[in-house]
Amino acid sequence: MDVSYLDLLMAQQEEVVEAEGGGGVWVVADVLDGAVAPVTLEALGAARTLADALGAYVYAVLLGHGVTGLAQTLTQAGADGVRVADHPALAQFALEPYLQVLADLFQAQQPEVVLFGATAMGQELAPRLAQRMGGGLIEHVTAVSLDEATRTVQASVPIYGGEYLEVLACPEARPQFLTIEPGAFPAPFLDPYRQGEPTLLEVEPVEAAVHVVGPAGDFEPPAVPLSRAPVIVAAGRQAGDFELVKRLAAALGGQVAGDRGARDAGWIGHEQIVDVRGVTVAPKIYVAVGIRGDTFHNAAIEEAKFIVAIHPDPTAPIFQIADLCLEADPREVLPPLLEALEAT
Amino acid sequence: MRIIVVIGRVLDPAGIVVNRRAGRIFVNREEYILQPADRCALEAALRVKDAAGAEVIALPRSLLPDDDVLRQALARGADRAIHLVGQVGNLPYEDAAMTRVLAAAVQRLGGADLILTGATTLDTGQSQLGPRLAEALGWPQILGAWQVTIQRVSESAKWMMQAVVMAQRATLKDVILSDRRERRISWLHERETLRCAQGDIFGAVRRDGAGYVTVEADLPAVVTVAPGALKLRYPDGVRLINVYRAGDAVERWEVSDLVDEAALRPQLEKRGQEFPPERERGVRLSGTPEEMAQALAETLRQRMRR
Repeated sequence: MDVSYLDLLMAQQEEVVEAEGGGGVWVVADVLDGAVAPVTLEALGAARTLADALGAYVYAVLLGHGVTGLAQTLTQAGADGVRVADHPALAQFALEPYLQVLADLFQAQQPEVVLFGATAMGQELAPRLAQRMGGGLIEHVTAVSLDEATRTVQASVPIYGGEYLEVLACPEARPQFLTIEPGAFPAPFLDPYRQGEPTLLEVEPVEAAVHVVGPAGDFEPPAVPLSRAPVIVAAGRQAGDFELVKRLAAALGGQVAGDRGARDAGWIGHEQIVDVRGVTVAPKIYVAVGIRGDTFHNAAIEEAKFIVAIHPDPTAPIFQIADLCLEADPREVLPPLLEALEAT
Repeated sequence: MRIIVVIGRVLDPAGIVVNRRAGRIFVNREEYILQPADRCALEAALRVKDAAGAEVIALPRSLLPDDDVLRQALARGADRAIHLVGQVGNLPYEDAAMTRVLAAAVQRLGGADLILTGATTLDTGQSQLGPRLAEALGWPQILGAWQVTIQRVSESAKWMMQAVVMAQRATLKDVILSDRRERRISWLHERETLRCAQGDIFGAVRRDGAGYVTVEADLPAVVTVAPGALKLRYPDGVRLINVYRAGDAVERWEVSDLVDEAALRPQLEKRGQEFPPERERGVRLSGTPEEMAQALAETLRQRMRR
């Protein structure tokens, strides 16, 4: 059966119609390595939900040089209209030129809600636009809902790094600016039948006030002590090959530690022992490779936000406090794990 | 040169227990500490003062019921501290209102060359005060600096070079006299590698993806300092005692003298609290080691993004 006409039909139905006039939910796109950043797609998903409830349109703004081709992805992810500012002066992010383009655009369009990714670019632009336009700004949003009576977005922000959340709203000031935390929202389905033509914006280059001199070659960031390291990979007696543990730590950008068994094996120094009698840690991610987990060790990692345990013995006490347990020999798990992590 | 450093306080997280199941926050010990990023901003200001000579003025990040953080800044070497007295509703989120107050305070002080503050707050994670202030004053901004250095350069090129060398020699000597620790001196040597140009030039090392880059801007400017970038010095003992003994060590300015009532209307409002679900411990992965490794790699990758 020939169903090629179905494609045609679908394409006609999904032809995006863009409204004239102000308002709408706007998303400012981040470009990462020549592609649309994942956080922008997530923001578009959130914007789509808000716009459907508000009865408004979703617009995306794309700034950069040679980025017009990416507009299609934004349309597929849910944007009804895409504005593109494509100019050599916008090739690298610099505050003043970007700010100029967005401020002119938003002054003309008077958006209702503006979403940024909580990236370096979003954190520089959003507060300045909010201040310039007299809008409210809620940063690092992890969930949104809508107060439909007043058309106000209610946003959850993590407090003390996610211990709990507070719900904030900006009842009067407009536009409502939000920066979206990467990874907090699901990425939307890219619908290949959604199509639309991007609108090109006029760009008048503005001089940037902050200049990059060059890489800070001789600058060494202050050393983070093990007790405050965000990622720790710790080895125990059953770890097998310590070189693999070190590679795992490097792949995760973390520090190497261990229990007393690792010190006895000569893999780590005395100051790297995770134990209530040694160092008490509170990382975001703690990977225990071949650590059985005695009381002293487990008490020292109690504050860790996420614990992964790899140990061959299913009765190992570490499994009682770990969030994710792998009952396997680290020698068999680590090589494919490293392969998967180092590939990306 | 005048440097304004904006500092705030935060409830010490070590004294708080969050019970997710009960949906409650228990404050076992109500103790306030300096915001970690603001500590670094204060240290950056004091280092610039050590190196180039400057007047450091401490201002609060929000309207505080007491002036303890400002006294701590004075004890550590700030020259002036001004306690802004008034009422703003919904305290920790009123960055828009505080921007108006601080901009008016800067005006009343007769301007400034550099404003330093923390890049983010420990509790609410908001980082908008610095850039909002930059916008209100029309100044350039550098966010999340790890190191801040400053150089006074004259109009004439020849004199400029001399001035740089002399200033460095002088400050190096001062620092050796006042503080013999090696770290401070090595930091001063790094300053020499910065490029020289016309006007008041100012360099900061900022994190850019994986590496660090040096950026520069003309003064005046607003710089926010990353938490953990610098270690705040200990206060001088005698100074500490004097600061806390003197009743008038901290100046008091009424906010109502700086801005009118309408400017202080809260912009954001808090509509409730949410608690994430309790941790589910002991989730076991099944399958062959290869399958486990794939699942673990995916989980770790997602966790790393947060």
